[in-house]
Amino acid sequence: MKTMFRLAPLALTIAVLTSAGCANTTSSDSASSEPATKTSVVEHYADVAHAGYEDALITAKALDKATDRLISNPTEANMKAAKEAWLAARVPYQQTEVFRFGNAVVDDWEGQLNAWPLDEGLIDYVQADDYQYELGNAGATANIIESENINVGGETLNVSNLTPELLAGLNEIGGSEANVASGYHAIEFLLWGQDLHGFELGNGERPVSDYATGADCTNGNCNRRGEYLDAVTDLLVSDLEWMVAQWAPGGSDNYRSQLMNADANEGVQKMLFGMGSLSLGELAGERMKVALEANSYEDEHDCFSDNTHNSHYYNGQGIQNVYTGTYRRVDGSLVTGPSLSDLVEQSNPELDARLNAQLDASMKALGVMKAKAESSQNPMPFDMMIAPGNAKGASVVNGAIMALVEQTGSIEKAARQLGLEALSPDDAGHSF
Amino acid sequence: MKRLTLTLCLASTLTTAPLMAASTNSSHNPGTDYRRQWHSDILTGYQSLATQSQTLAKQAEAYCQAPSPEAFEQAKQAWLEAFLAWQKVRFVDFGPVEQDNRAWQFQFWPDPKNLVARKASYLLKDDAPITPEKISESGVAVQGFPMAEYLLYDQAFNNSERALPADHTCKLLAAVTRHIADNGETLAHDWKAFQNNYIGSDQYTDTTIRAAMAGLEILEERRLATPMGLRGNGKRSVYSADAWRSEASLIAADASVQGLNQHFLPAFSKLLKDRGQASLAENIDQQFNEVLANFPELDRPMAPLLADDKAFRSLQNLYIDVTQLTALVNDRAAVELGVVRGFNSSDGD
Repeated sequence: MKTMFRLAPLALTIAVLTSAGCANTTSSDSASSEPATKTSVVEHYADVAHAGYEDALITAKALDKATDRLISNPTEANMKAAKEAWLAARVPYQQTEVFRFGNAVVDDWEGQLNAWPLDEGLIDYVQADDYQYELGNAGATANIIESENINVGGETLNVSNLTPELLAGLNEIGGSEANVASGYHAIEFLLWGQDLHGFELGNGERPVSDYATGADCTNGNCNRRGEYLDAVTDLLVSDLEWMVAQWAPGGSDNYRSQLMNADANEGVQKMLFGMGSLSLGELAGERMKVALEANSYEDEHDCFSDNTHNSHYYNGQGIQNVYTGTYRRVDGSLVTGPSLSDLVEQSNPELDARLNAQLDASMKALGVMKAKAESSQNPMPFDMMIAPGNAKGASVVNGAIMALVEQTGSIEKAARQLGLEALSPDDAGHSF
Repeated sequence: MKRLTLTLCLASTLTTAPLMAASTNSSHNPGTDYRRQWHSDILTGYQSLATQSQTLAKQAEAYCQAPSPEAFEQAKQAWLEAFLAWQKVRFVDFGPVEQDNRAWQFQFWPDPKNLVARKASYLLKDDAPITPEKISESGVAVQGFPMAEYLLYDQAFNNSERALPADHTCKLLAAVTRHIADNGETLAHDWKAFQNNYIGSDQYTDTTIRAAMAGLEILEERRLATPMGLRGNGKRSVYSADAWRSEASLIAADASVQGLNQHFLPAFSKLLKDRGQASLAENIDQQFNEVLANFPELDRPMAPLLADDKAFRSLQNLYIDVTQLTALVNDRAAVELGVVRGFNSSDGD
């Protein structure tokens, strides 16, 4: 979603602190290679981002193919395969969310791919009495699939030709952030449909016949629904191609080259800022604490598919990846290299050990959430965990929240350890 | 989408710090003087919240026992008084208000998905009894001022068959206002008990200043700039403001500035002066007056001001004044005092 201007406290500005001793300290366990430097760490960070977006692209292409098959041949098996491809595509993408905060190139772009929560009535039919949309959203029931023209807040738009460009242009029409026409969650809705189970077990139950031709078509407009799904998956692929190119090595005018040409302190700052922001404000706060304390499945991240536990889990994994410089690719290979952990260890091994232990603890807590949600015996997905009176579920969610809060404290300390001071004045937004 | 009242702030890790300064430092520590005053000033605010919340619960009960248009107006008035008392101390985001998400319990906000309406219809749908336990386990969207406001003010709801004084709705109103009153009382009590810990711990000086800074930021960014369409997608929308149902968004802003002026500024001014920042203290004091001079003229519904470009100017004037106040406190004073802020719970999106 939109980046508002960053509030003052979010600016981790760099205090010029000469840490002459740091670079000379020998690194204990990466004996084979040169000791990590801020420059090599930032470069490897770009490698991890590049690998992550490449994986997101690979799995998005697989999703695109699977949905193409579904559209041309709407069978239960093809529906199942498309859903599985969507779930697989979320694994690498969620690990890239840590690059969002701090890197404007990602934050400005990601709304088109992962905006949430969305008012799905913009896209397709919904069951009206169980659909709560954003207050004041004029587009919340526009139903693009049903209409050749839609009217949003007095403005009429021709939507007869469902192209990727059209869908991209429809995001946030009428000025509402909940009008999300594209991205993972739009695709999720087109595959699963509305989750009408509330706090009960079960997710969206869109019938495959929603894509059938002729008389078998359910809920009307099956052709248009297929066209929409085709366009929205194509858009996802081209969006990811663009982002892969931004992080590709060897380019002279992409984002990676900008990052590498800037002071290495800036890169390190972005890394830690991304870890801390995702950890505390976004994942622990917006995505878990709000949903839990308000018992609100409207605030559930992957609400149509009930895949929220995995979204959270792989967000957490992304944070750990950035600190350790390690990323397990979707083909099973491992990306490793100079890391923040190496840098912190050079001057404060205790802090490094503590933060590593805390990152492990967070992954363990998120792993408990994932295991409970995926249990074959008695599954408890995230929307059940946050149900009123579910003490057991609440303790699972709270365990993950607390672990993330703790690690954020050490992320701040790591920033200070590396000479980055959290200073408040960022008065750019205050000049009137 | 950010709820800045989220109390995950790292400051909370400081609350576990032992009483340090008081016992270890025998020489006079001026920090304790400021904190003594802050403690007392905030206590005054919490006590007023407790009193007004009790009145609200009583008025709601009285109305439901003998419904009349007059009693309905009295209940609404009591809601407003209690809500404004909360606005005055809303900036305090540390200490006992952190326990059990009390800040969210008083006011779950923002609520773009209209969770309040959804929860109300969920609770009123079946005629299952509404007990204190039920309120306690129904989540923060049920437990505070926005829910009571919905029942008292929401237009669509007031035209439905569930509208007050329908029996079940009355029971919900009584239970919610009772929950608010109990929380108000507990909070005042716990704040009193917090006194030694607060005064004795040096960290609470910065924590208190940070709380005021965050309060100003929320006012400027979330409560004014966002509904005014100055952020994000640029659309003016009263639904992004708080308390739009009761049309109290601006009078609530007035109360929040008054609250900072009464419960934060006195000790803060003293602190600035002691640190050789007398003229800055003076400027801040004046800027508070500038902001407050917009009121009571602006204690009006926000929606008409958003709808009319000419009327919008009065809102812009307020916004500019608040911006300047925020700049003085959050940028200049914080820098002079070396108050450092780290990640906070509003970093997400």
